[in-house]
Amino acid sequence: MDTFIQLVVDGLSLGSIYAALALAIVLVNQSTGLINFAQGAMAVLSAYIAYVLLGWGLPTILAILGSVVVSFVIGAVVERLLIRRFEGGDPDTAVVVTIGLLTLFTGICGWLWGYNNRQFPSLFPLTTVDIFGAVISIRSLGTTLVIIAIMVLLQVMFLGTKLGLALRAVSVNPQSASLSGLPVGRLLMVGWGLAAALGAVAGALVAPQLTLTPGMMDTALVYALAAVIIGGLNSPMGAVVAAWGIGVLENLAAVYVPFIGHDLKIAVPFLILFVVLLVRPQGLFGRKVVVRV
Amino acid sequence: MNQVTKLLQNGWVRLAVGVVVAAILVILPLVLPVFANQTLTRIGVYAVAVLGLNIIMGYSGQVMLGQIFFLGVGAYVTAYGVGNDWNVVVVFLAACVIPGILGLIIALAAARLGGLAIAMVTIALPIIGVPLAKRLSDLTGGSQGVSARFSSAPEWTGLDNDQWQYYIVVGIAAVAFVLAFNLVRGKYGRAMAIVRDNESVARSMGISPYRYKVMAFTVASIFGGVSGFLYMVAVQYTSPETMSFHHSISLLAAMVVGGAASIAGSLIGGAYYVLVPQVTNAIDPTITAISQGIILVAVLFVLPGGIVSLPRVIRRLLRRRGTPGAASTQTTPPPSRDAAPTTEGPETERQGQA
Repeated sequence: MDTFIQLVVDGLSLGSIYAALALAIVLVNQSTGLINFAQGAMAVLSAYIAYVLLGWGLPTILAILGSVVVSFVIGAVVERLLIRRFEGGDPDTAVVVTIGLLTLFTGICGWLWGYNNRQFPSLFPLTTVDIFGAVISIRSLGTTLVIIAIMVLLQVMFLGTKLGLALRAVSVNPQSASLSGLPVGRLLMVGWGLAAALGAVAGALVAPQLTLTPGMMDTALVYALAAVIIGGLNSPMGAVVAAWGIGVLENLAAVYVPFIGHDLKIAVPFLILFVVLLVRPQGLFGRKVVVRV
Repeated sequence: MNQVTKLLQNGWVRLAVGVVVAAILVILPLVLPVFANQTLTRIGVYAVAVLGLNIIMGYSGQVMLGQIFFLGVGAYVTAYGVGNDWNVVVVFLAACVIPGILGLIIALAAARLGGLAIAMVTIALPIIGVPLAKRLSDLTGGSQGVSARFSSAPEWTGLDNDQWQYYIVVGIAAVAFVLAFNLVRGKYGRAMAIVRDNESVARSMGISPYRYKVMAFTVASIFGGVSGFLYMVAVQYTSPETMSFHHSISLLAAMVVGGAASIAGSLIGGAYYVLVPQVTNAIDPTITAISQGIILVAVLFVLPGGIVSLPRVIRRLLRRRGTPGAASTQTTPPPSRDAAPTTEGPETERQGQA
């Protein structure tokens, strides 16, 4: 039983990291209707920026906040200079652009900082507490709490604020939004900036666990994408719950299903995915999108 | 320019061009150095993989990020068959059928998703494929990989190994290209194009988007399997690294740079996939990823139709610039000049979107 609780708690903390990235993906999708495959690579770049700030002697929390701000700017600039050219066109082309960005950002990180692993300090102390016989690190708890806070903030922002309403309006129908007087271009920039900032948080949370490398987010991105599909593309809460579910189930499967083990546990979210898709193609928490000709 | 196009529309001229190209392809390996032959062979291998990717992405409009997975499966099936002394024809068929069945199963689930979600599912294929190949070490040789030497030149041909491998790869690739050409020009190709452009319209015309998506996916995975077989002919060794995620992304970049929804673009894409890393590695290996990203984004920015659309873009620019002068000197009746843009206009637009 102790192992079980331990696995569940570790799974939740793992899932929180996927959730941060998943939230960023949902955010971009909610405000622009795109899937940003470069989200993970942008998060890695943010983590490297925080790493550089740390190297300048800033305390960890300030370095992370600094990277969040810089990432917001990077995200907004990328949208303005690059993505805008492809918005409103064929979504497939825009997605391929984000895949180009994924290669580009990974390449930039590798070129500037090399492909060696680098140590990144944790925001939270590395001590542990004992809960129901399971050893839980403060870091896991902290990660999970940060994600819950962000999720609540996003949900409130999307459903309760003018900015959230405007972002949703732009994603559903940019033309109507523009006719209603919304500054569509600026809103899209803000959407990308917020997502990049969120990615920076994810990067800062992941880097201490995985050590910093240019490819560190590739796997996390895949989990995050799976979580986004399972939870539903238009539901921040669904994405987080799905990410937690994936984290917990993959941990349990790795230990209790011998064939899967630790190297194949990445297949678990996709098995779940297939099952969910067969039952509910729009995702567990997603709303069905009605298409009109 | 116009006369060249007109000349190319003549059936006999086309046949002659085809014969000349075929003759060059046959003679080329006999005169080129070994390294050039090997490079050309590898271009053939990846051109088939890009061709498959083009069928699903370019022609039926679904973003596919896992094509390299099917190449890997095809390569492993080939290695397994050769290791167990199967007849080489049986090996080839297995390398087509097994990836095809896998593709069909994945497509049946993935095609239920609309739009971009299919991309999110296929991104998982290489990422699961690598640990899976390591885990199934009895079949795949684990992370050590597995080699299969079956493509050495037989005595009676008097050819070197590289020349023999070149002929196998180019021969099979040529057949694949002809088949793909017929597929996309025919009934199924038209149905796929309608599904790509507007699913609701397709549905109202009695074309099931689901069925055509699954079909395109399956065909793409079969082509992936064929390229895996060719990969084993050329390289004779495969490991989990063969189907790593970054290779899959490069394959996609190659397709876009070559030209989406274009058979000739697939060939350019294969060349791009093989040649660009060679060039960038020669300059500085650490910039390979950056340059690939920049090239991909730049091509989408400037030439959304890929390199294959370059002549058309140049021709259009020339025509736009040349029209006022040409109108006064040209003796051809105006209708023919007016007809040219109208027949070409929709096509460029269609290609540009893909």
